Parts: sequence; structure tokens; C-alpha cells
Amino acid sequence: MMKRNYFFLLVAFLAFIEVAIFWISVDIVDPLPSIIAIIIGILIIYLARMHIDEVIQDERTWKIAEITSLRTLQITWVGLFLFALWIIIEALGEQFRHFNRTIGIFGFRLLAILCGIIVLYVVLSLYYNKKFGA
Amino acid sequence: MKNKIKVYRAMHDMSQLALAQEVGVTRQTILAIEHGKYDPSLILAAKIAKLFQVRIDDVFLLDSIEE
Repeated sequence: MMKRNYFFLLVAFLAFIEVAIFWISVDIVDPLPSIIAIIIGILIIYLARMHIDEVIQDERTWKIAEITSLRTLQITWVGLFLFALWIIIEALGEQFRHFNRTIGIFGFRLLAILCGIIVLYVVLSLYYNKKFGA
Repeated sequence: MKNKIKVYRAMHDMSQLALAQEVGVTRQTILAIEHGKYDPSLILAAKIAKLFQVRIDDVFLLDSIEE
């Protein structure tokens, strides 16, 4: 059995090792060490998590995670939306005469991804609404 | 919502950590409930009340009822 603080220390140590391996991966221009390291890292965390003898997650931490996730999504979405609009306006050029195709397409693709996020949000919202009794 | 967890803990000579372990939450959650920063779920409130062998409304009090 493992104490909660030892688990967090292990996660921090693994994160340090992962960054180092990623650095080496970039240096030798080979993604394989990074991929293997990430898989092994996830496995070690998963196994260590099963052996913690203290509660590390409860209803309060879940509520914190829920609110944090929602706020992060909202802020990121609005930020990226404004960024996409700015890119498209920049691509259209002065008085909309000279359309920069590469930058413009990037802006429109970003908008499409943001629309996809809204669709995913609505689908998941409907699913959980149904799951919890609606 | 106000609560008397601290009082009942003292009556049962129980630490925050011991209570947290008994009801399956973190010590920080018990601390947050005691300080009125977090309202527990009905299940957690029931677990705490059952542990102290009292009714839920003996431990947890709605502010409006108190007033």
C-alpha cells in the first residue's frame, strides 16, 4: 500500500523522466522513445493508483474538476473564437480585396473545430441529461 | 448550510482524518464542510449522521431554518 503523498511524488518524478525522454526524442528525431515512455508512464501511474491506501478523489474533488473543466472550456472557446475571427479578417486583407488563402483556410478550419466542440457539448449534454433522469 | 460536525467529532473524540476515513472522503473535504465552504451531498451527509448515530438535521442545519 502507498501513501497519497508518495503517489504524487511518483507522478512528479515520472513527469520529469517523461520530459527528459521527450527531449532526447526530439534531439535524435525519433518519436519511438517518447511513445514507449508515455505508455509505460501511464501503466506505472495506473498500477500505483490501485495501491493507494488513502482517498485521493471524492465528491468535492469531482465538483472542483467539473467547474474547472467547464470554465476552461468556456474561456478557451471564446479565446479561440476571437482568434479565428481575427485570423479571417487578417486573411481578407485591406478592404476585403486580397484574400490570403492559407491563413484564411486555417481560420475557417479553426471555426469548424469550434463548431464541432459545440456539437460534442450538446450531444454529451443530452446524453447525461437522459442518464440523470430527464 | 451550517453544521455541527466539529461538536460531534469532539463528542466522539474523533479527528478530521479519522472521520474522513470512516466516510470515505479526503480530510480536506471534512475541513471544507466544517468551515461551511462546501455543502456535502445527501449521501455523505447521511453517512456522517449515521456514524454519529443522529439524524441528518441534527448535524446539518439550513441557514433559513436557523433564522
